[in-house]
Order: sequence, then structure tokens, then C-alpha cells
Amino acid sequence: MASSQHVLLSPAELAYLHASLSLTPPIRPDGRSPTQFRPLVAETGILPGTNGSARICFADGTEAIVGVKAEVERTAQRPGEETVFLEEGGAGDDEEEEGEAVDKRKGDASWVEMTVEIPGLRDDDSGTAFLSAMLSEALLADGEFAKRLWINRRFHWKLYLDIILISPPLSYPLPLLSLTTHLALLSTRLPRLKSEGDEDPFFDDDWAAAPYLYPRTPTSVAKPTATTTTTRPPITLLVMAVGNNIIFDPSKEELAVADVALAVSVTSTASSHHIDTDTGHPAAEAGRNLRLLSIRTIDPPSRLTPPAVANAANAAYGASNGAALGTQKMLEARTAETEAVEGVWRAPRGGAKRMVLGALVQKVLERGGVVDEVLDALEGVDLG
Amino acid sequence: MPITILPPKPSRPINNNNNNPSEDDALSDSDSGVDGGDADGDIPMHHPPSKRTRLTTTTTTDATTSIVTPGEQITSDPQWMRGHGTYITPSTTAITSSVAGTITRTNKLLSVRPLRARYTPEVGDLVVGRIVEVQAKRWRVDVGSTQLAALPLSAINLPGGILRKRTETDELQIRTFFAEGDLLVAEVQQLFGDGGAVLHTRSLKYGKLRNGVFVAVSGVGGGGGVVRSRRQVWTMDAANGAGQIDVVLGVNGYVWISRHVETPDAEEGKAGITNMEESVSTTMYSSQNDRIEVETMREIARLRGVVTALVENGLRVDEDMVVRGYHEAVEMAMVSAEGSDDIYLGGEKGQQLAAALTGA
Repeated sequence: MASSQHVLLSPAELAYLHASLSLTPPIRPDGRSPTQFRPLVAETGILPGTNGSARICFADGTEAIVGVKAEVERTAQRPGEETVFLEEGGAGDDEEEEGEAVDKRKGDASWVEMTVEIPGLRDDDSGTAFLSAMLSEALLADGEFAKRLWINRRFHWKLYLDIILISPPLSYPLPLLSLTTHLALLSTRLPRLKSEGDEDPFFDDDWAAAPYLYPRTPTSVAKPTATTTTTRPPITLLVMAVGNNIIFDPSKEELAVADVALAVSVTSTASSHHIDTDTGHPAAEAGRNLRLLSIRTIDPPSRLTPPAVANAANAAYGASNGAALGTQKMLEARTAETEAVEGVWRAPRGGAKRMVLGALVQKVLERGGVVDEVLDALEGVDLG
Repeated sequence: MPITILPPKPSRPINNNNNNPSEDDALSDSDSGVDGGDADGDIPMHHPPSKRTRLTTTTTTDATTSIVTPGEQITSDPQWMRGHGTYITPSTTAITSSVAGTITRTNKLLSVRPLRARYTPEVGDLVVGRIVEVQAKRWRVDVGSTQLAALPLSAINLPGGILRKRTETDELQIRTFFAEGDLLVAEVQQLFGDGGAVLHTRSLKYGKLRNGVFVAVSGVGGGGGVVRSRRQVWTMDAANGAGQIDVVLGVNGYVWISRHVETPDAEEGKAGITNMEESVSTTMYSSQNDRIEVETMREIARLRGVVTALVENGLRVDEDMVVRGYHEAVEMAMVSAEGSDDIYLGGEKGQQLAAALTGA
């Protein structure tokens, strides 16, 4: 539970926003459809000194840069684990076990270090710490990512992810940072390993030969039977609900009237075999296999907003300005406070409804739904 | 299509506003008046060609090349005078820029127009503000300026239009008039020496805002944003049976778009001119929204989209542009695949709208 930053909105504004977002279909203040994202401008490979980098900006000027740097680090040997010595036979064993190499690779969460920087906030600010925890949690949750950093039993890559929001946070920056991180990781390349087995790692000088951290598969045009979907870095989406409406990528004002807000991390895994054998449907049409990695609730700022005063209880409403009448009205208001009046803002009370939470997650994991299209669009970005 | 990802495009020319021809004229006049006094080459100055070609090139080539940053020396030639956005380093004659912006020359006066700037209040400006602080006898209002503006308790209308001295009772229930977060429309009454503003709402036109949405376009550069014009507030007929919509363009770049509310008594013609104040100001401090039809909400959102699209494409925001942009947007929605319910005006659609408005 982390609270997104507080926005100062008047009760009349909050009531209006809530009313328009509760309609079916909801009318969002910027006219988007409920599942529509704000248009992005994205590019990769902007920082020459990094292994991978990306920049994304929204039309409103919110802009984030992510740089990924990797360095070789010696894997700490824990007591109890078998000590690795450089032996002649070691390399031979590896070649025999080539088929189940995955089994041997081990990852550790400490191999990834993520820092998030947001202008105007301290590094140890709870909001920043929560953002970085959420993003690294999505990355490390399934344990698959750290395995990619394995070089051999004695060495591994240590990955530093620097996430910087350049502009002031005009909206809750989680989706922006997550999408930028996703792109940066997609464009990350590590030098090609030349050494074998457990020797000290030795790399190819040729940067052009460096493989991507997330290997790119040939497009479906070349081989229709080949799976086009491979494992991708996770994305974390911000989803919120107002009434029964589910809204993706909420802006700051929309988040301010949310009943529930969730940060949902998903990843796409390699397509399972039955999709390929199913001759009628190519893999692309069937959509991806989406995997839920983590869910976090975001405390919407709507809970902290003061309620509006209904006309009936407003001392400054009507011609009554006498103090006595005013206090009498206030007393009446206290008794009538529990009833909802149309057009008067009341902060949502109580926890999230289980049905709504279920519907939110369902909507995100929908096959061929929003996440699929977001991943498709991110795939379309030129990785230069 | 829930998401569009575009490749980056080269930044558009800065201060490319053709709505300000007087300044271009001044520039070209000064150029033809300067007789080769810029031998040091600090100012990018071309040989004065004929006036016509100069006018066309000013916005494209000159404006983009002459961006200066704070601390950058503009010229060391003593013939130039220092204008806004510049300073002279002590014991030298060098004129240095104090803001990031484009150089403007008016005869021998050098000034720098900032790319982004906060609002500088002037007496008589109509502003939209948000209460951020409530003090004993006044409110502090955010108007997008460098400082918070002040709204004294004595500068508001009391409910019912009663005229009397503000008492302690009023001070105690100051939050019943305006509380933190409330939006209001007001006028700048007075300026302090340091540029801080004092507001007042002593008119039927001013007061608390409700029944609508807020959008801030303050601080934008590149020729966009709200400009001072003849009318900052107007009521317009919305399309698709949405009734009337009020638009308030604060000079400070804060915009309010809301449903038009007829005062009940004025409608029936019962209220005379003398007790008009009384009837109107009863609803003045209400924070309860009236019932708003779905059509009206949709058109309000469309108008908000028009304002944002204008700003994103570096166009000025005033009555003429907003009204024209709105009609254009309604027509664009008519011919679009989704029909007239399509109110989205971001990204490419906003660019289409801007192109339709400027290309005409």
C-alpha cells in the first residue's frame, strides 16, 4: 500500500469527475476510451555509454529516461555450496549437459540494482522507494530474469538500472517508468562471451556481435509456424476502478477520484506447444500467454479528500448568514452526513470490493486485450 | 487501438507564433535601422535584405538559431540597451541573458523572451485560482505566479449581498466561504511591490466555480497558452443538444469549462436590477454540483480536449480559437468512424485539428 501524491482538487471538481467517470461508457476528462493510453513518444539507444537505454515521453511533457549498465561480478560462494575449482574436466561436463543448462543457471535478486529518481522527491521518500520496489519486484518475481545474468558458476553480470523521471511527476509515474524500463531492457545487449566453462570470463570486442539480453526471434513473416512471442520483460500497468468502470492509465485527476487503484505486473511467456500445433491459428492471432507477476494496491488520494458540504448544510448558502442559524445547520448536517446527496463529493469509504478487484485482474489478463496491444506496440519501437 | 507509440520528431520552431505580427515588424524595422554595428558577431544578424523576405524568414531561421540560456553573453557592444530578461555584469558592458529564450530586438533595445514563464499579474486581470491556504483574515490563492496571491476576507461578497463590516464571526467561519482546494474566478485588484497580487471577487461574475472541469495551460512556451484578449469569459452553445457551456480563460493560464447555470430568479424576470445581487449570490458559495446531462459532460470534455490540443500544438488560446476549434472538432467527430460520441483529441487528432485551424 503506497499513497500516490496528493492532488488538491475542489469538492465540486471531484464530484464532477466522479460522476462523469461513473457513466457507462465513462467520459474521461481527456476524451480517451477506458482502455486507451496517452500517446507516447519513444526511442531507444539514446545513451551511448550504456548497455541499453530508452526514453519515453507523454504529450503533456512527462518524460523518463532509463539506462541499463552491466558489469561482471564474482559470484559469492556460500558455505555449503560445492566450491568451484578450475578443472580440466569441468568444461567437458558442461558440454555434456548442454541440453539442461537452464537447470544449472542460478540467479540472485541482488544481481539487479535499481534506482529511481524523481525530481523534487528525496531518494528515501516512501513514494520513490515504493516505486523502485514495485518495479524490481516485477522484474525479479519469477526468478527468470536473474538467470539471464548468469555467466558461469563463478561470475555473473551485475545490472544497474537507473530510472530517471526528467519532468516533475504530473501524473502517477508508475506506468511511464515501467514502460521505459521495458524498452531499455529490450534494447540491452551484453558482450558475447568467448570463454568457456568456469574460466574467467573473456568477451568479444565486437559490439555488433553482442547478443540481446532478451533474444529477438525472427518475425512471423519468415516462418509462419514459428512462435513470435518469446519471454519479454515485465510491464506494470496502473488500473483503476470507478463504480463498475475499469480505466487504464489514469491521469492525475482521474486517480484522484478512484475507488480502487491497482498496479498489476504481467509478463508474456513463450507460447505453449498446443498453440503451434493448432494449425488453424497462428500464434500471433491467439495472443500471448500472459502471466501475472504481482499485484499491489495503490492508495488512491481520493480517500484523503475532504467531503463537500451539501447546500442544505452550507452556512454560506442562501441568504442565511446569521451565526446561530449557521450552527444549527451544521448540527443538522452532522446527523445527515451519512446520506449521499447527488452532486456532493464524498470520499470513498471501505475497502475494495472483491468482485471489482477480480474484474480488474481479469481485464488485464484478457487474451488479445490491452496488455497484448501494449506489448505489440512496444515491440514495434525501433531498437536502433 | 489502446496505445500509440510514435518515434521522436524534431522539435518545432520556438516562438513560432504568427499571431503577433507587430513584433516581427519591429524586428525587421530595427534590422534595417542597424548600420553594421554588430561587427563582433555576437548577435546573429544577417545583412538586411528586402523587408518582405526578412519577414518570412524571421519565424523560421532566426527564431530557432537565437536561443540563449541563462548566463550566456548576448553582446559586449555598448551600443545596445538592456531589456527584459537580461542583465549587465558589473564593471563590464556585456549584456547577459537571465532566462532561456529567444532574443528580441526593438531598435537598440535587447530583450529575451522566455520559452516558459510564470504568470506575471497585472491589475485588472481576470484569473482563475485555487485556494491553497486559509489564514485568519485572508486566503492564499495559487494563480500560477511566482508567489501565492492573497484574497482578503474583506474583498469577497457575503452571501445574500449584504454589505457590512466583516466581524469575528466571519473570520471564524472563513472556511464556509472558501476552503483549501476550492477553485474561484477573481480579478487582480492590487499589486505588491514584489509582484504579489491581491485579488477580489466583488462582482457577480466572480466567485466559486462548480459544475465543470479545470485545465491548466500555464507556463507553456512556444507561442501557446492563454493570451489577454477582449473577452476572457463567454457562454457558448454546444453541439449535440448539450445546452450552453461557460468557458473561463484565466489570464494566468488556468481554464475552467462548465455547464451554464441560469439564475432562477433572473429567468423568471422577477428580480429587479436592485436585488439581483441578492438572488445571484445565494448560490455563490455552494460546492454542490447541479444535475448535468451526459451530453453536456461529453461536450465539456470535448472543449477541454480542444484547449489541450491547442496548447500541445503551440497555438494561442483565446475565444476565437477555442470556438473555431470546437466547431472543427465537432465536424471531425461527425465524419470519424466512431461518430459524434468520439471526443478524443489527443495525439494525431489534435494535430489534425491544429492543422485545420491554421491552414485555413
